Amino acid sequence: MGEYSVLGVGESLLIALSGFLTVFCMLLFLILIIKIISFAVTKIEGTGKAAASAAPAPSSAPAAPAAKAEEKPAKPWDGKLQLIDCDEETAACIMAIISDETDIPLDELQFRRIAAL
Amino acid sequence: MNFSITAVIGEILSGSGYAALLQEPKTIIMILIAFLLLYMGIGKKFEPLLLVPIAFGMLLANLPNSGIAIISEEGHRGLLKIFALGIENEVYPPLIFMGVGAMTDFGPLIARPSSLILGAAAQFGIFTAFLGSMLLCGFPVNVAAAIGIIGGADGPTAILVTSRLAAEYLPAISIAAYSYMALIPMIQPPIMKAFTRKKDREIKMMQLRPVSKTEKIIFPIAVATVVILLLPDTAPLIGMLMLGNLFKESGVTDRLSDVAQNALCNVLSILLGLSVGSMAVAETFLTLQTIMIIAMGLIAFCLSTFGGVIFGNIMCWVTKGKINPLIGSAGVSAVPMAARVAQQVGQKENPSNFLLMHAMGPNVAGVIGSAVAAGFFLTLVPMLL
Repeated sequence: MGEYSVLGVGESLLIALSGFLTVFCMLLFLILIIKIISFAVTKIEGTGKAAASAAPAPSSAPAAPAAKAEEKPAKPWDGKLQLIDCDEETAACIMAIISDETDIPLDELQFRRIAAL
Repeated sequence: MNFSITAVIGEILSGSGYAALLQEPKTIIMILIAFLLLYMGIGKKFEPLLLVPIAFGMLLANLPNSGIAIISEEGHRGLLKIFALGIENEVYPPLIFMGVGAMTDFGPLIARPSSLILGAAAQFGIFTAFLGSMLLCGFPVNVAAAIGIIGGADGPTAILVTSRLAAEYLPAISIAAYSYMALIPMIQPPIMKAFTRKKDREIKMMQLRPVSKTEKIIFPIAVATVVILLLPDTAPLIGMLMLGNLFKESGVTDRLSDVAQNALCNVLSILLGLSVGSMAVAETFLTLQTIMIIAMGLIAFCLSTFGGVIFGNIMCWVTKGKINPLIGSAGVSAVPMAARVAQQVGQKENPSNFLLMHAMGPNVAGVIGSAVAAGFFLTLVPMLL
């Protein structure tokens, strides 16, 4: 078996650069793959949910809640947590406690609004 | 037959390890280093789960005449030499990766795929240390690649690459890698503060979107397929990492996930630590090269943090202040220590800031990034022989 040698400046630079680029390209490609997966899953699950909600509701279902829902048209969520009469530290504590009590990781919980009662 | 009690005692003493110690003073230095590492692991709690077995393996291997870490002339393997077969045959690092995969939640990465850019940027140190090791220290390309991988802050990856490319440097490189991982809370914050602005460090990031179970199940299968097809040499690391994660996310292999996360990972930590420690003997460890490796490893680590933080700044600028640049430092892949450091530094600047989940994205991306960098070296370096 032969021995490895010390490479020259040019060759070393080329290898280092191509290695860094390989890592970047690979991970950029993974971004694309994740986006495709997320898009496809959202589409499929969205279609499934839409199909489920399009199914005729049981006739005995009370009409009142439906009317109530209509009163509040769904506003697209902007991703920001809304705090009402609640400081940020308390909100953080509440989120941590809920995560701990429910055994659900914080990233799987979605907090839209925390309000003092 | 003449029997003399003093002659027998003399015979026992001359054949004991004490006499051998006096003949080989370098061994005493190795034993002292083992004591120091034990102190760091137990007293200072620096990565104790690995540092303690490594240090104890080093101690046992350097106690003369025990034969525990050698192959005798008759071909008998000492106990630690048997354990070391798992490194020589590249078994332990991929299996540890399986445990890491079973413990890792890729949700934050799937929720914000751009985290992968930070994971890639934080591999900067790997390639600059690779360059430095060759151009400044005069190491051959295989050793330079193994030293560079320390910058990935990923112990199993460093061990796998080194055992394949430069096995004689395994103790120095693995000890450097694990020591620097333990020192992350000291190494990273000054770099993070030096290359970010205070107002950027105070940025509060938006909550991540919830990730569906289906996405989490498809992710490991897709990543394993895509990455291994491009870089087949990453198969042991990426393959096992993603298998472990699939155990966790599939919901139908809870027992396997539990074993991979706990029992298997713990057993392997013991075997890996003892094996690595047992390779650290005076002839190969007490050399100028070891000092250079430790110095280059530190540089690799710092530059990786620097690369992540700089790209964090770029992403902060591109997103008009929606990304806190501190999370870039977590791209160095030491899971979850690097993410914790980002959280701690961020919270010091703004007590209501919670960056942990945001930093987990780059953190797990760094694991994939360093495995890809390892695959690159494992593919390329043998071609240069």
